[in-house]
Amino acid sequence: MNSIKKIILGTASLSLGLIAGCGNDDEIVMWTPLTGEDGQVMDQMIEEYNSTDPEFPVSHVVTPDLYTQIYTVMNTGEGTPDLSIIHADRVQGFVELDMVEPMDDLMNTHDKLNSDNYIEQAWDAGTVGDTQYTIPLDIHSNVLYYNKDLLAKYDAEKFLDDNVVTFDEIMSLQGKLDEGQYAINNSLISWVLLAETVNLGGNISDEDGNPTIDTPEMHEAMEAIVEVEKAGLMTPNGEDGFAMFQGETVLFSSDGTWSSLAHDMVEDLNYGMTNIYAFDNETFHNRGSSHLFSMLKNEERSDEKEEGIADFLTWINENSITWANAGQIVASREVYESDEFKEYPQSFFTSSQEELDSLLIFDYEYYGYVEAAINLYINDMLYGNISIEEGLANAQNEVEDLVAQGHGADINIEAEEDAE
Amino acid sequence: MENSFDNDNTQHKNRKGIKFKQWVFIGPHFIFFVVFILFPMIYGFYASFTKWNLIGSPSWVGLENYEAILMDPTSSFYSQFRNGLVNTLIFVAGTVPLQVIIPLVLAVMLQHKGVKGKGFFQAIFYIPGLISVTAAALVWLLIFNPRLGPVNNLLGSNVTWAVNQPYAWIIIFMMTLWGAIGGNMVIYRSAMSGISNDLYEAAEIDGATSFVKFFKITLPTIKFPLLYTIVMSTAAAFNVYAQPLMVTSGGPEQSTFVLMMYIRNLAFGQGQSVAGMAAAMSILLGIVIVIIAAFQFRLMYRSSK
Repeated sequence: MNSIKKIILGTASLSLGLIAGCGNDDEIVMWTPLTGEDGQVMDQMIEEYNSTDPEFPVSHVVTPDLYTQIYTVMNTGEGTPDLSIIHADRVQGFVELDMVEPMDDLMNTHDKLNSDNYIEQAWDAGTVGDTQYTIPLDIHSNVLYYNKDLLAKYDAEKFLDDNVVTFDEIMSLQGKLDEGQYAINNSLISWVLLAETVNLGGNISDEDGNPTIDTPEMHEAMEAIVEVEKAGLMTPNGEDGFAMFQGETVLFSSDGTWSSLAHDMVEDLNYGMTNIYAFDNETFHNRGSSHLFSMLKNEERSDEKEEGIADFLTWINENSITWANAGQIVASREVYESDEFKEYPQSFFTSSQEELDSLLIFDYEYYGYVEAAINLYINDMLYGNISIEEGLANAQNEVEDLVAQGHGADINIEAEEDAE
Repeated sequence: MENSFDNDNTQHKNRKGIKFKQWVFIGPHFIFFVVFILFPMIYGFYASFTKWNLIGSPSWVGLENYEAILMDPTSSFYSQFRNGLVNTLIFVAGTVPLQVIIPLVLAVMLQHKGVKGKGFFQAIFYIPGLISVTAAALVWLLIFNPRLGPVNNLLGSNVTWAVNQPYAWIIIFMMTLWGAIGGNMVIYRSAMSGISNDLYEAAEIDGATSFVKFFKITLPTIKFPLLYTIVMSTAAAFNVYAQPLMVTSGGPEQSTFVLMMYIRNLAFGQGQSVAGMAAAMSILLGIVIVIIAAFQFRLMYRSSK
């Protein structure tokens, strides 16, 4: 049956190779999931690197549905890219599946590639056990945008005094807003819920690796968000809260740092960035993820090419200020500490150690299941279609079932073949 | 006798030669069929009896996946399958009859002698089928936008269509019909153009009304294209995925979450793939489609007698 599977998947990966453009020995083929404007910024950065006439120029392949395609090529061993950008929550799973190479050799020969030169959370997202599997590019975080004009109108500028808008402050706007105006929208609301859960001392998994969604902390966090909605302060269900913020009918928008690109294109939108709202100004987190460079296992990648990859990653460490144009928090210390980066609004998150510490990245192996399950139920809980108890219990049950399926799979094909 | 044997042998070779020639013509399609349809189908059937994350080898679990889906009410896969199947059946029941009736009525109207610009109208009805579902969904969501959309403004309504039932289904049905009626209408018009005018003239002489002519002449004559479109529209409706995904994301309360969305999420969603369970759900969906298609073909066969 293995051979049949290889025929099918081999055909699929051949097709992918033809579509994506086959690599050659003289270039580094890099797959990324950057399908939006960030893909164009990455193209620009690659162009800058290639203009330095490196021994191994980089060929950037934007790969929609990246992870499905990675699974396909990893299964056959054909068409595996030399380098790829993956998200932080994929690292644990990829290591478990023996899909990624450690970065040890690259780090040994290139001094810049070490933990001191990157945002700690982004670096740690690629650490499994004592081994480093990725080199970070950025953190893309949840952020609270605010409309400066509306804050002034409602005398809410004082909310920003300590850089943390609290639930109480938002609730204080109840009954004070004009008709058709709202305090906050529901963009990336699942990220907000996760941050609030951590603010309350909860987490999404326990020490044994079991998912923990149906917990008192997440229940309390969800209740607090529902209270805001019940008070009529959140944009209504089915309304485009993102567009409403741009239309200046919402005071606060919980969104991603990358949305600043879209906001910049709106004429007269006078906005700023601060931390995601929290229960108090002492404990606050901004849930984010990280784009990480990784080398998927590939027997055909030569030592010389790995050296070329290390050169490229070192160049990125020194020159990735261009990446700030994608609205991301650049992970390289050399870049985020530069004066040039301080011109970007997302530099708010690197402006102090307290802000850096607020960046929250989940590295739970089954994070993908958790986020998908929460996304499935959060709107219905938020707008009262189902109770919080029911929503969290269902989400917990779904993730447990999925984890049980994942654990049951025979995952290490290489090890299995070696054993045979 | 010897001559006769040689002759037979030559004929046998000729027959073999002819068969080989047939394979040249059918071969490329057959290879694609085997590689892209038959093998994946067989492997999918095998995978449905396994736990598989698409990376390593599948682990054989026998009927466990089917038990979880069909027999275990505590399993989330059980509720997903039931909910997905019910929603898919709602979609089939809500769209397939209208996908047949509306194009049929339009085709009859366009057949009328007094209608000018038939090609133009046919193009107008056909073009939506060429537009991607994503683009169409954006247009329809704007039309039904609670604040900016023309529907709410004209009706003076403040309904948020995509997040309330039955309005969520109504948008999905309308969008689907908008894209689907053109194709079936072209088939019906093509079939109707083959009906001899003599039949209608003879019926008119006998005093038949338009109603009688439609049911006694038009409908029986286009019976096969009609049944073909019913079968194909039904099979396509069971595989619905993009419309609810784009318009409602399966909400509210997963009431538009169709089975293909659950299958896609399990196999290629966030996190590790649960391909074995997804394959089992696919097989069960396939069985439902086969049963209904068989019933429809049986109907076609009986009515042809």
